[in-house]
Amino acid sequence: MFIQQTMDLQEKLAILADAAKYDVACTSSGVERKGRPGQLGSAVYAGLCHSFAADGRCISLLKILYTNQCVYDCKYCINRRSNDVPRAAFTPEEVCRLTMEFYRRNYIEGLFLSSGVLESPDHTMDLLYQTLWKLRNECGFNGYIHLKAIPGADPALIERAGLLADRMSVNLELPTAEGLKKLAPSKDRNRILNPMRQIQRGIAAQRQGLVPYYGEERNAPCRWARQFVPAGQSTQLIVGATPENDYQMLTVAEALYKNYDLKRVFYSAFVRVNDDSLLPALPGGPPLLREHRLYQADWLLRFYGFSAGELLSETQPNFNVLLDPKCDWALRHLELFPVEVMTADYYTLLRVPGIGVRSAKRIAAARRSGRLDFPDLKKMGVVLKRAFCFLTCGGRMMYPVRMNRDFITAQLLGEEKRRAWDIGQKDSYRQMSMFDDGFLNPAPEPEDRYSAALGQL
Amino acid sequence: MMTIFTCADSFEGILCGVYDAWMSGLGHENVCLELADTGNLRLFAEYRQAEEDPKKAAKVTGAIRKKAGQEVYERVYRASLSCEEQKADRIYRFLVCALRIGPEVVNMLQLPAVYELFRMNRFVANEALHMIEFVRFSRTDGGILFGTVEPRNDVITLMAPHFADRLNAENWIIYDERRRSAVIHRAMGEWIAAELPDDSFREKLMESSDQKEFEDLWRTYHKHIAIAERTNPRCQMSHLPLRFRPHMTEFQEGRA
Ligand code: SF4
Repeated sequence: MFIQQTMDLQEKLAILADAAKYDVACTSSGVERKGRPGQLGSAVYAGLCHSFAADGRCISLLKILYTNQCVYDCKYCINRRSNDVPRAAFTPEEVCRLTMEFYRRNYIEGLFLSSGVLESPDHTMDLLYQTLWKLRNECGFNGYIHLKAIPGADPALIERAGLLADRMSVNLELPTAEGLKKLAPSKDRNRILNPMRQIQRGIAAQRQGLVPYYGEERNAPCRWARQFVPAGQSTQLIVGATPENDYQMLTVAEALYKNYDLKRVFYSAFVRVNDDSLLPALPGGPPLLREHRLYQADWLLRFYGFSAGELLSETQPNFNVLLDPKCDWALRHLELFPVEVMTADYYTLLRVPGIGVRSAKRIAAARRSGRLDFPDLKKMGVVLKRAFCFLTCGGRMMYPVRMNRDFITAQLLGEEKRRAWDIGQKDSYRQMSMFDDGFLNPAPEPEDRYSAALGQL
Repeated sequence: MMTIFTCADSFEGILCGVYDAWMSGLGHENVCLELADTGNLRLFAEYRQAEEDPKKAAKVTGAIRKKAGQEVYERVYRASLSCEEQKADRIYRFLVCALRIGPEVVNMLQLPAVYELFRMNRFVANEALHMIEFVRFSRTDGGILFGTVEPRNDVITLMAPHFADRLNAENWIIYDERRRSAVIHRAMGEWIAAELPDDSFREKLMESSDQKEFEDLWRTYHKHIAIAERTNPRCQMSHLPLRFRPHMTEFQEGRA
């Protein structure tokens, strides 16, 4: 491994941003915090996006690795030990300076700090902790911090670090234990799930007011009013590095939300950065449409009251290429439609294609004071192009519609695409361009206005 | 014949127009509000200039707060910052509904007057949020953070409270290049709004700057955080349209 001693900050930043970019989480949401007099920063519950990179992804946080040196050799990772790439490491002072100066200029919402494993998980976790401690207490940084917990690190270290961070994450990366064994032999599943469980318990204890206090260490006054991971925890799953289908992915995500109280599961289309016989070849590039469909489905789980088993099954284990998961679901449940705008309850409205969280709320509020018609629905953000087959206003449909699957599919897609849909059940994601991006409206919560661009599904 | 009340392009000016039109006793359907100086005079209409008087504006805001509540008041304020020429009359039509119906009015998007205000309010609020996200500060040697924006709507007063809280220990200025106005904050103090018709101060301020080091570092970061295999200019464009970019550090040429 080769480390330049005299590297300047520009070069380090280039290397350690490059090394961090495959972690997709960049949200700054989940905690509302006012500024403190004399300190720098605040936090906005919905999160803010400060820029967009050339790949169209939101830049909210300064996302860097502390170091890209690593003692492990995970097959999918650009930073694995066996790769011959330039290596670098920040000092805590450098991370603090970058964060403070970027923040001041309104480039960023805060810091996302992760790291390769330097010497040992404990040693690495301690470095991260030291850096955050400095940033919070010496620099007086009051903005957002997302910290990676290093699997295998001493729980006491994770706990202390968690009192300085807003969000923590441990990446599951591969949805099944077999996948993990094959591609990341040093990370067995328990090593990942244990810190996840620990963080979950810490957050729960926080809610009940049971937080340990480490205030007086180092004889320095502690300026940071500690809370344990107030913005909750998240994780990431890599899409398409191992053969799991969408149903397996979504079931795992659902279990993580239920059993670990995760705030977010992120999906990262696999980018083949290493030439390794254990990794799949992806001639069409990263499986972006598949990633997109998973985000849409995840959205349906979190905000629309769907379960994984409603969207997919053993017999239909992958998402449709041409239709978003909600349209696809509705087409398979035509017996439930059309629904009446004036009387359907909120959750029934949410299941109508073309009606999102915001428009459902607006409808529910507006109809109390009078009759609604189709043009009114449009004003409320309903996408009529998709919704008109599934709705009546005052008992009337917008156009005569046959409640027949072929007919409605054709309405939604156009006849030509309908034929493609019939055969589209096979796994042809990567041949598809993301033509459907055009219809995506602002998302229901500002939090991910940008990240997955989902909106009125 | 229609009577047109002309008013100044400001929150207070519009409220005075509302007051005069309402109190004229001519009936809502016979009056109309226009901003002064829009230049398109109508035939067969009588023009009256609304007189500005803080007391009139206060009466209108008092009535809005009392009968329609704080939420309606805030929406009207934001709508008054809109760049739309018809905003004064739209606000008037909305207030006719709002003062009759009360706070519930915000939900009645099926009423055209309510929808128009909702739409203006949303445009202004969204742009203010974008500006909060996308404004970039440069730092002068004297330690002043200076940011330039060119919003379509007059949103800098909506940006100021956010930065007054977040950057409370900093001296900063947000300058609206289109309107030659600014919000100015002194470290540990309050913020104020100011008109700055002469912008020569800007060059003076900037020549003493800057720690270009961090601007270059930011451009480096911005370049390296993108994943080449996912390059997607269309997506980038839809989230961050070109009109925002001229004032953003990462889209400016640097030394790096
Ligand atoms: S431990 Fe992390 S940095 Fe190291 S090789 Fe595995 S994924 Fe990469």
